[in-house]
Amino acid sequence: MHELSMADAIVKTVIESAEKNDAIEVQEVTVEIGQMTMLNPEQIMFMVEILSEDTILKGAKFNMEEIPIEIKCESCNFEGKIDFEGIDHYAPIINCPACEGRELSITAGRECNVKNIKIEQREEDAQDS
Amino acid sequence: MHKIAEVEIQHDIMVANRKLAQKNQKILDNSNVFGVDVLGAIGSGKTSLIEQLIQEIKYPVAVIAGDVISKFDAGRFEQYDVPVIGLNTGKECHLDAHLVEHAFHDLPLDEVDILFIENVGNLICPVDFDLGAHMRMVVISVSEGDDTVEKHPLIFKDADLVVINKIDIAEAVGADSDKMVSDVLKLNPDVQVIKTSLKTGEGFKEIMEALEKAKNE
Repeated sequence: MHELSMADAIVKTVIESAEKNDAIEVQEVTVEIGQMTMLNPEQIMFMVEILSEDTILKGAKFNMEEIPIEIKCESCNFEGKIDFEGIDHYAPIINCPACEGRELSITAGRECNVKNIKIEQREEDAQDS
Repeated sequence: MHKIAEVEIQHDIMVANRKLAQKNQKILDNSNVFGVDVLGAIGSGKTSLIEQLIQEIKYPVAVIAGDVISKFDAGRFEQYDVPVIGLNTGKECHLDAHLVEHAFHDLPLDEVDILFIENVGNLICPVDFDLGAHMRMVVISVSEGDDTVEKHPLIFKDADLVVINKIDIAEAVGADSDKMVSDVLKLNPDVQVIKTSLKTGEGFKEIMEALEKAKNE
């Protein structure tokens, strides 16, 4: 259960960027979470909302975007996303969907990326930047 | 007058930890220390294994003992007169690279050849957090049930050495240790899996050999 520390890092990252850009309000935050992380986006959402209270983020809309797992197969050089439909969550890490090979490297799906924010700036600050 | 602006941040918290982990590995390399991240289930025998390794291994050893309350395990290691740092994770379920780097400052790394970093007993959360060790050793035991590997695949996918402990009681707890081995190999075909009983000593020598081999590679 490390969603709390992740949520804390997300909130700190956003506040730092918002302050640097002279925001008076943060309206939206977009975070990308890889499907291969041990993170539950709903729990992160719950905790960032709690941690946002009494900060410039209060009331901001959080968009959680899930990043699909992508692999590269060392045997057949297959590169691409894994389709989760109808299979166990982690089954894809076992075999390559193209050649069933097991020598795979994971190229996407391990992110917890604060992608962007939408902020309200004072007009004079906005002109300066 | 106010203006709405979109600001690109692109700050990946996972990448931030991985960068810190890389920095940690450089610190270890500069002092010629071989770092071993010891992960595994609660009660699987991580602490007991490190205790036995401290006594048998011929290199100077130090230990970072990570736990929600670390004083218990740290206290067990201190009796062997090796440098020990207890890291309290408090509410956290895993060690991270930042915490481990702090512990480096309090260890005589130049006098150490092997550093064991005992992670919090957990098969889920530590997967996301590389610490910068050279090797990830995962310790589980038959008493967690022989479906443990299937239920926690990711930790085995990234393991460099897997220890299946307490095989002396496998029958009593109704666990098939061979199934556990084959489950690990399905996920990670090249990893070495060692069945042990730290109580009877079975398999312990193989762990020593695997560690020494990895250290000298």
